[in-house]
Amino acid sequence: MKTLLFLLITFFSINLFSQSTVSGKVTDSKGLPIMGASVYLEGTYDGTATSEDGLFSFETDEQGEQTLLVSSISFETYSKSSDITNFKNVTIKLKDDVNTLDAVTVNAGTFNAGDNAKVTALKPLDIVTTAGALGDFVGALQTLPGTSNVAEDGRLFVRGGDAEETQIFVDGMRVFTPYSPSANNIPSRGRLSPFLFKGITFSTGGYSAEYGQALSSVLLLNSISEPQEEKTEISIMTVGLGLGNTQKWKKSSLSLNTSYINLAPYQKLYPDNNEWHKPIESVGGEAVYRYKFNNDGLLKVYGAYSSVNFDLTQEDINVADGIRFGLKNRNLYINSSYQDFLEKDWSIATGVSFANDRSEIKYNDADITDIENSAHLKIAFKKFFSSRYKLNFGAEYFVTNFTENYQDTSFENDYEFDNNLFSSFVEADIFFSKKLATKIGIRGEYSELLQEFNLSPRLSLAYKAGANSQFSLAYGEFFQNPKNDYLKYNSDFTAENTTHYIANYQYVKNKQIFRAEAYYKNYGDLVKYDTPFALPTSTYNSNGSGYAKGLDIFWRDNKSIKNTEYWMSYSYLDTEREYQNYLTSATPEFASKHNASLVVKRWIEDWKSQIGLSYNYASGRNYTDPNKGGFLTEQAKSFNSLNANYAYLISPQKILYLSVSNVLGTKNVNGYQYANQTNTDGVFDRRTITPAADRFFFIGFFWTISDNKDDNQLDNL
Amino acid sequence: MKSVLLIATLIFTFSLSAQTPYEKGMNEAFALWEQQKNTEAVQLFERIASAETDNWLPSYYAGLIEIVSSFGLKDEALLTSKLTRAKGFLDNAASISENNPEILVSYALLNTAYIAFDGQKYGMSLSGENVALYKKAASIAPNNPRVLLSKTEWDMGSAKFFGKSIASYCKDIDQAILLFEKEEQTIPFYPYSGLERAKEISSSCKKETSPN
Repeated sequence: MKTLLFLLITFFSINLFSQSTVSGKVTDSKGLPIMGASVYLEGTYDGTATSEDGLFSFETDEQGEQTLLVSSISFETYSKSSDITNFKNVTIKLKDDVNTLDAVTVNAGTFNAGDNAKVTALKPLDIVTTAGALGDFVGALQTLPGTSNVAEDGRLFVRGGDAEETQIFVDGMRVFTPYSPSANNIPSRGRLSPFLFKGITFSTGGYSAEYGQALSSVLLLNSISEPQEEKTEISIMTVGLGLGNTQKWKKSSLSLNTSYINLAPYQKLYPDNNEWHKPIESVGGEAVYRYKFNNDGLLKVYGAYSSVNFDLTQEDINVADGIRFGLKNRNLYINSSYQDFLEKDWSIATGVSFANDRSEIKYNDADITDIENSAHLKIAFKKFFSSRYKLNFGAEYFVTNFTENYQDTSFENDYEFDNNLFSSFVEADIFFSKKLATKIGIRGEYSELLQEFNLSPRLSLAYKAGANSQFSLAYGEFFQNPKNDYLKYNSDFTAENTTHYIANYQYVKNKQIFRAEAYYKNYGDLVKYDTPFALPTSTYNSNGSGYAKGLDIFWRDNKSIKNTEYWMSYSYLDTEREYQNYLTSATPEFASKHNASLVVKRWIEDWKSQIGLSYNYASGRNYTDPNKGGFLTEQAKSFNSLNANYAYLISPQKILYLSVSNVLGTKNVNGYQYANQTNTDGVFDRRTITPAADRFFFIGFFWTISDNKDDNQLDNL
Repeated sequence: MKSVLLIATLIFTFSLSAQTPYEKGMNEAFALWEQQKNTEAVQLFERIASAETDNWLPSYYAGLIEIVSSFGLKDEALLTSKLTRAKGFLDNAASISENNPEILVSYALLNTAYIAFDGQKYGMSLSGENVALYKKAASIAPNNPRVLLSKTEWDMGSAKFFGKSIASYCKDIDQAILLFEKEEQTIPFYPYSGLERAKEISSSCKKETSPN
């Protein structure tokens, strides 16, 4: 019995001696106590939660070296290894987690769309269900502030820049010919089908050093990494047919899309003001192959082929019979990219994109053949030093070869140039706190054609002023080689350039976004020439200049009205340029002072329908009236268009879609063409350039066949 | 000799009646959960998970509580913080137990929490993901009543959305009830629950679809 007693006492005392207390206080970076934080020893059951005043205390039998973990929502997890005896009366300061939704974001100049972003200006469905956008993702972006409505062009004109100043990238790789070619005064459409992308970043200025050769804007598209299921999609439309199929395997997947568009039947029913000899016919196919490697590596290969063919005669005031314009274009685009996570928080992204574009143009009696071969090679590395400090750097090489053959009854000539460019960039993302962050980078570019090296610094800063509001600033220098239209005749240029200064205020609260952004852009070294058109015989120089300044306002509300979402944009633009063949500094004809749009969508449960309306307004653009003298001094009337669409879910997999652009049939004016010679009264006659048709109707039936009976093509519309 | 025997018996009986730290911890965590002390329950499950590195259940429950408690939240920042945490727990559970139908169903529930918050923003991408998750879970465990129950609930939700009859789903719920009743409950702390919910849905299903 004595032995037993002895043993019990020994056990008891050992227990007493081996138990230690872990205690202390948990606070935030300002020293304020954090309540309810979890404090425990890693790999044990021993732990507790902090009290109201941030205090904690618990007993443990563990001995020796231990790891103390402290975690709490919206803070970074704290971890410290030490001898257990050192965890007594410790004070632990938790750092704010900068990756949470309420942390500051460096966003001056940028809109995000898709579900990958913290603050989304456009949701995935908006890209394709915005009335008037007609399934073209560019159309939806034109409802955001900073863009100018140029109805006869269809491309993106950003903050006083022309369409060539915006570059489009897919998975970080350049898209060289993103728009389908079209005739004069007929808007062109984006070649890329919107449903291949899950995230869109649209920057209207001050963007990252990773991107260059764009004076005004970049549009970054991320393609879908993994399709969700196998399916077949059939589309029957008033303008053509579409067929898509997705196959999935264990590690890879393949999506194919084909489309055939023929506007002949439509133009029979609703003739427009052009005389079509061959209405627009296009055949296109896209394929995306994705392969997942064992270690997080992802390979994507995207290939697209399209051919467009049309022939028409358009009215012209100087040519009685009109001008005959025919085009046969075929375009091949391949984009392959590879991403992988490496050891020690490194990651790599590399890719190659290639485009071959061939156009045969018939312009009255002239035959022009343009061939452009372009490639982009890129490698970029990212290092995550911590959630507060990231470094991104890489190198790129752009190759462009352009040839043109011009032939008419009296003249034939070939033009050719190579525009190769090497660039590298480095950029750091730094969070000083949950409230203050910066992105600072620099980009160097060497152009072989211009024999010139340019250095562009970029800087953005963001400060979160309150729970819902933040201020951002951005500055950057941007360079871009002159466009092909000039380079084919002359290469003695310096790169065109701009400097951006941007100040942004954003307020985000519970499904409501308000955003206001002011900017100033200074253009330099723009191309000038001395003839009515850019000709081989013109004299060229880089002495042009200009500026653009303005204010962009955006408001989106998904909350106030049930089942209804709406957004409003307003842009004020003040810009002048002296470039091309301008005689004086003037506001270019593509720029309008005021642009506004309103988009409303309403889901009607009982009808299983979504109704959408959009209204676009642009103040009148400038033109030159030779009767009055002066240069770009007159203003055309303003542009107004009310568009409507209606999507009806017949069953989860069958959708009927109707869309009408310019419902009210407003007579819009795209500009005026004046006669070269005065008439007998000594007056220059003019012709009003109106849209080819006032309204456009679209009816489509979309049918999805898959195991998933709820899936549909709503995202295609 | 006597005393040795006595000690031996003492120790033996002690270990028989006493719970292992795992059982004690799990019981305590469930008790906290029952008392609606969600934060404490999650923290305890998290601690158990850190000690029991080859058991998926504690992480699974930590994730599940975060998901369930995020339904009805109005603050998107808090919602995403909680669901990101939940996803971390589920990822940990899934790395211990691959292709586990219970975890797959929880991933679908996590997506549903996002969709319930903002269908326009999350619905398009996540509903497709959910269908794929349920399909995978059903192919792994065709006789798992919880898989059948959650899948049917999801299908009923979308049928209601499209104004279609849910009558055909009532029998799937009844089938799930049968499976629940047949299920052998052998693993301690395994998430066997769900029978009561299935019965509730079954009765409301019949009420809604009955002619009167």
